[in-house]
Amino acid sequence: MTDTANTQLFDLWRRSLEESTQAWTKLVSQTPPPAGDPFAVWRPVLDQHLEAWARMFAQTPASPDVLNQWKQFLDQWIEAWSRVLGQTMSTESFAQWMGRSLDQWLAVQAPARRAAEQATEQALQTLNVASGTQLTAVARQIVDLEERLERIEDGVQAIGRRLDRLDETMKALLARPAETARP
Amino acid sequence: MAQERFADVVERFTNGFGGAAAGPPSPERLKQWHEELERNVKRVSNLARLATAADPKTGQTPREEVYKRNKSRLYRYASSRRHRTPLLFVPNLGISRPYIFDLLPGGSFVEHMTKEGFDFYLLDWGVFGPEDNDLSFEDCVVKILPRVVQKVLDTSGAGELSILGYCMGAPLSVSYVAAHPEAPVKNYVNMAGPIDFSKIGLFGQWLDRRYFDVDRFIDAVGAVPADLVRAGFKLLKPTMDVSTGLNLWWNSWNDKYVEGFSALNKWANEYVAFPGEFFRQWVRDFYQGNRLVRGELVFGGRPVRLSSVRCPVFVVGAREDYIAPPACVRALVDAVGSGEKEYIELPGGHISLIAGRGAALHCWPKVSAWLGPRS
Repeated sequence: MTDTANTQLFDLWRRSLEESTQAWTKLVSQTPPPAGDPFAVWRPVLDQHLEAWARMFAQTPASPDVLNQWKQFLDQWIEAWSRVLGQTMSTESFAQWMGRSLDQWLAVQAPARRAAEQATEQALQTLNVASGTQLTAVARQIVDLEERLERIEDGVQAIGRRLDRLDETMKALLARPAETARP
Repeated sequence: MAQERFADVVERFTNGFGGAAAGPPSPERLKQWHEELERNVKRVSNLARLATAADPKTGQTPREEVYKRNKSRLYRYASSRRHRTPLLFVPNLGISRPYIFDLLPGGSFVEHMTKEGFDFYLLDWGVFGPEDNDLSFEDCVVKILPRVVQKVLDTSGAGELSILGYCMGAPLSVSYVAAHPEAPVKNYVNMAGPIDFSKIGLFGQWLDRRYFDVDRFIDAVGAVPADLVRAGFKLLKPTMDVSTGLNLWWNSWNDKYVEGFSALNKWANEYVAFPGEFFRQWVRDFYQGNRLVRGELVFGGRPVRLSSVRCPVFVVGAREDYIAPPACVRALVDAVGSGEKEYIELPGGHISLIAGRGAALHCWPKVSAWLGPRS
């Protein structure tokens, strides 16, 4: 009973595999490709898919090596998808679509963001709590202050270096008369 | 042809399957399955450990903070300092954190360089907040980098330094070198840093001014949030997460792999926002205008001409880099005015050029071997 069920299931699987294979091959073997063929871009994936399946199934009877084949198949499959997606995303139309989507997102996002910020600001003001904008302004002031301090520090260091140089010059000048005073 | 071949294979497989099932498996086959079973047990236990373990400890090479300015920090790493010329490492600003360069002991670029005796300094740009939205690319070149260079010279006591720019750190640091021809830069190294943006690839196409209005974008969002940075990079390679997951499962029986993955995964999911003005200038002048290579940039009243770079230059490109393709990186060699310049192209991608086993094998020794005699 169980054996019969297994055989039926196996036959069903085999039939579906063969049918899908035929469908794929029909699609892949259309030569030459018609102009503007929308499937042209998918051919590398299908070819690779078939290749990988073929290699994997050729490993019979089943052993742990099949798992290696399976991993390789998945790697190639992912790589093929990656190539196809890369091809699609590198088209002008995709860039155009992305730009349009971003514009639409900004058209919604910008006013929504402003409204949310205003509402939060008002709510915090009512509660007498510092708002995000106020905190950012304070942080900016600290950054500016740090920048000013650093400029002062640089200035002091520059003065220090000048003083050092002046000191050296003075020492050299003081040493000179003693040398020239010799007969 | 394809139909015939595949049908044959299916036939062979299904017959073989039936045939194999009929006979008893050989002792060798049983041993193989037993090993596979053990590997799977290890996989499950390692994955369970990975899911529950605390974040791995990264950035373990000893270092001291020698300078800080707002969010940015300059670190000096402990080393034997065999070479007299200090080396300043300038990584990317935004996008990701710099601990990728000192990921784990035994797998760290910083550790390699310090072991080679370099007086190694790392500039960590930091994680910027909304209060830093006015920080521009120009500010980094004319305000931050000159101070950082001075601090390197002051703390090392050296009269000259070498600069190594990685990724966006390369256009940043080479802009500094080009705008300050008087700066005491002895050597310059560009690792995977984009220079000629007409060859930048997908990002260049998406950020083309015909489709992307950077002013409108920044005016609306203020800064580029980390989530948006993440989305952009994920879109660049949409299958990356799937292949990462698959490779993790496949290699998860290997303790070393899991340890490395854990650290790398922590880094790979920690994106960093861009300050608004920085991103505006980065996109407008570099991606859209390609003004660095054209010599059209003026920062702080100083012209940024790559031909003014006269020191020895070493450029490293990664063959499978889709963020900064090799042709875009290589352009520096043709643009600089240096008499001594060299370009090498190594296997790997943008990250694997500098992190991981491949980098330790192919890249780091080449960089240290080029810099060593010149330092």
